[in-house]
Amino acid sequence: MTSSAERLNPLHLLAAFGTGGLLTLMVYFNGELGRYGNALFSSWAAHGTGTIAAAILLAILWRRRPAIAAGKPRAPLWAYLGGLSGGATVMLTSTAVNTPLALAGTLALGLAGQVVFSLAADRWGLFGLPRRKLSLRDIGALALIIAGSALIILFGMGGAA
Amino acid sequence: MTLAITYALLAGLLVGLSRQLNGRLALSTTPLVASFWNHIIGFAILTLLGLLVGGLVPAGAADAPWHAYVGGPIGVVFVAAGSWLIARIGAVNTALLVIGGQMVSGVALDLIRAVPTTLWASALGVVLILAGMALTQRR
Repeated sequence: MTSSAERLNPLHLLAAFGTGGLLTLMVYFNGELGRYGNALFSSWAAHGTGTIAAAILLAILWRRRPAIAAGKPRAPLWAYLGGLSGGATVMLTSTAVNTPLALAGTLALGLAGQVVFSLAADRWGLFGLPRRKLSLRDIGALALIIAGSALIILFGMGGAA
Repeated sequence: MTLAITYALLAGLLVGLSRQLNGRLALSTTPLVASFWNHIIGFAILTLLGLLVGGLVPAGAADAPWHAYVGGPIGVVFVAAGSWLIARIGAVNTALLVIGGQMVSGVALDLIRAVPTTLWASALGVVLILAGMALTQRR
């Protein structure tokens, strides 16, 4: 499965951009919780309240969704381990921010890690998702977004000028 | 320091891995089901870790205002959205556009909260990110 690099659906673009906005809110609120407790408690509580919220949403939507699994292949067991990876992320980042890397360094390196992983994931279609070829335009967009993010993280945050 | 750098890089890789796995699970179920499993498995792992190292429920936790607990439910929508998007626009686009949205909204939040920022760098960063998004829309 190789989908050709066609123009991105603007609705998908906006949805992804908005999802980033959700991340900002999430990090802010979890940070507030961390101030009253610690990073582990904050992540633990967020996963707990998140589990309850997801269960409530699923219960509400249950009746409206007849035979969701019909025609879909079963997921392999490893596909259920996204939360394991997420939990490990929390431990690694909360350790890294308390080193000389601080928040900016942790964010910048985390960004690099995400870029490397996503490039490999699309290149080889890792973990059962479709392969995707990058066009020259994709690479240009990639470079601009990375440069802008690096600028904000490394020079914009925390300074005063 | 090398260890810290490895941790931070690895954290980024794991963010991508998590989205890839949840995206795969969403293909066989739904994005919301994938988000549910992501949270309950994460909760189980962190509970285990907390019981091992102690201090899972610190003394000050009871003083936190209710809105500090809103991050969890927001995370449910965040994970579901990522799982839905990755199958449609790929890992690179999802990662980059989510990061772009996070950066731009982060700058906005800092401005609203009057957190000190270096304005020229933040403003130029926002312009570059928006230019990158616009580039994906050019025919």
